[in-house]
Amino acid sequence: MFRSINVTSRIFERQIRTPAPGTSVHCARRFYENIVPSFTVYDIECPDHSFRKFTDDGQYLISFSRNHQDLIVYRPMWLSFSCKEEDCCRHDLPPKAKRFESFFTQLYSVTLASCNELICKDFFLSMEGNQFGLFATSTAQIHDAPTTGRAIQGVPFIEKITFHLLRLEDGVVLDEKVFHNDFINLAHNMGVFLYDDLLAIVSLRYQTIHILQVRDLGNLVDVRTIGSFCREDDELFLISNSQSLATSERSRLNPFPGNQVGNGHNQVNQDDSFLSGIKQRLLSFIFQGMWNEETDQAMRVQSLKKKFFFHFQDYVDLIIWKVQFLDRHHLLIKFGSVDGGVSRNVDHHPAFFAVYNMETTEVVAFYQNSAEELYFLFEKFCDHFHATSRNSLHMNFISSHSNNVYALEQLRSIKNKGGSFSQFVKKMMASLPFGCQSQSPSPYFDQSLFRYDEKKFYHVHIMLLQLISATDRHRQSTDHPIKFISRRPPYTLKFKIKPGPEAGTIDGRTKRISSFLFHPFLPLALSIQQTLFLQPSVVNIHFRR
Amino acid sequence: MGSMLGDWPSFDPHNFSQLRPSDPSNPSFDPSFNEEMATKLTPATYRPTHSRTLPPPDQVITTEAKNILMRNFYQRAEDKLRPKRAASEHLIPEHGCKQLRASTSN
Repeated sequence: MFRSINVTSRIFERQIRTPAPGTSVHCARRFYENIVPSFTVYDIECPDHSFRKFTDDGQYLISFSRNHQDLIVYRPMWLSFSCKEEDCCRHDLPPKAKRFESFFTQLYSVTLASCNELICKDFFLSMEGNQFGLFATSTAQIHDAPTTGRAIQGVPFIEKITFHLLRLEDGVVLDEKVFHNDFINLAHNMGVFLYDDLLAIVSLRYQTIHILQVRDLGNLVDVRTIGSFCREDDELFLISNSQSLATSERSRLNPFPGNQVGNGHNQVNQDDSFLSGIKQRLLSFIFQGMWNEETDQAMRVQSLKKKFFFHFQDYVDLIIWKVQFLDRHHLLIKFGSVDGGVSRNVDHHPAFFAVYNMETTEVVAFYQNSAEELYFLFEKFCDHFHATSRNSLHMNFISSHSNNVYALEQLRSIKNKGGSFSQFVKKMMASLPFGCQSQSPSPYFDQSLFRYDEKKFYHVHIMLLQLISATDRHRQSTDHPIKFISRRPPYTLKFKIKPGPEAGTIDGRTKRISSFLFHPFLPLALSIQQTLFLQPSVVNIHFRR
Repeated sequence: MGSMLGDWPSFDPHNFSQLRPSDPSNPSFDPSFNEEMATKLTPATYRPTHSRTLPPPDQVITTEAKNILMRNFYQRAEDKLRPKRAASEHLIPEHGCKQLRASTSN
């Protein structure tokens, strides 16, 4: 079947031929091969804001003021002008094309952060259906925090974190959720996951997962809290049996044999006699798994001693790092040691994954990050790890190695590159649990349409991070443009995106960071290059002329 | 239906042998059949010839509410948590015969 790449003949084809079942979106997307953002306006004059993201429905561009206190929302538009002369195509664009305002209209500016708070400019989640946006403001981070109650040591401390739920249409703040004396990893949406209308917020300091629901009218409602207690009535049960608590405390402090591999610091919860609810579920799952492996009683005890009790303290000291939804009832929780929790470099710390059912409060699966079984599930069903809500249509078409042959080839080539398989597995598992809304739905990232160098797109809200380790986030930008090459014959270069000023920069030594914002469906992209010295950033607009 | 196939010539005499009538005394389902070729066939799948009543609940195809990834996790959890029996007890393979089944609740 020879498919023409000429846009006119494609349009005629579209009139007479219906696409194969289930491929209507893919067929429509092929037009993006013809309509590309090939024209660049360099160093456009624009307000000095930090541009964050286009919302996934393409209606809004979210940006924050430089002082991190205001939110400014723009509506992307298309440049329009008229030309009376003949041969208009040859003319240069009018001067108004070089203005930011021709492409974006400001809708409103809202002050979210009060005097001592700052907006976390790396945090933004949008709810497509009702056009809500979730933002976060926080006070400064304090590193040597006093430990109180159930707070764990080693985790920094923020006096006040506020989540603001905003209606994007007009900027009205609908609801707020405040966390006091807590720590939630806000950078790149790491500590928060949004699935449909459910929000999971991980409090690293108190080791709790807060599940909230965003109602249609814009209220944030607490659904459940997982951590110390798993079921809603656990706490009630324990309080009403407070007498049995006192006696069981004595029996619990009996140390287990062979338990020398502690982390150095004692159990922080000196006054609590029970392990937290989620920890108990986890330990019993591990125990049961090992118990059932052997049929002989003596072998069982041997195996338990070696594999379970020997590492008991390690298991007890695990903390929740990150969480994502797998569906409405299941969470994928990443556990690790305290040291690895707040650092970005995850390579040297062992990590574990657990699948937890919130309704039955059972742990369904538990794997170490080097587990091949988990990797095989990841390889085959990657799309199911990206829990996309059912309401969102285009988020289901983002290329991954489970739905795209070229992405799979790339994955295989990394696998076969050499080095040990378990290192490769750990590297792949480092991307789990996936960050929420970290991928752009733009068709220019569709691997079946274009081939491009992903490593150049470091910034989280652009594309697949599997190829880039977490430490590469602040990659130095090069002056070389990023090329998008067609996947179909004749494999030509379709367009290129060059960050930075037109002439290139003379000073090769200053570190520059590039970030790219692609509109979800228009052939429009922004590339922003920042130096680290708070100089105003260079913004280029790439669009189809 | 069925019993007719049992007598047809085929390369392998074992083909269709299971459809041979074991008890010719049962009356045939279809009155047009020869009574001697009555069959004791009870088909595994119920094929309704009317729509007056609903089919039995285990014969309805519904979408599984859990996605395939979750099903895999649960399958592996079941395998892990089920106590292992001695080898001699594994007579029937786990997924012996596929049947249509209703969706299991989460």
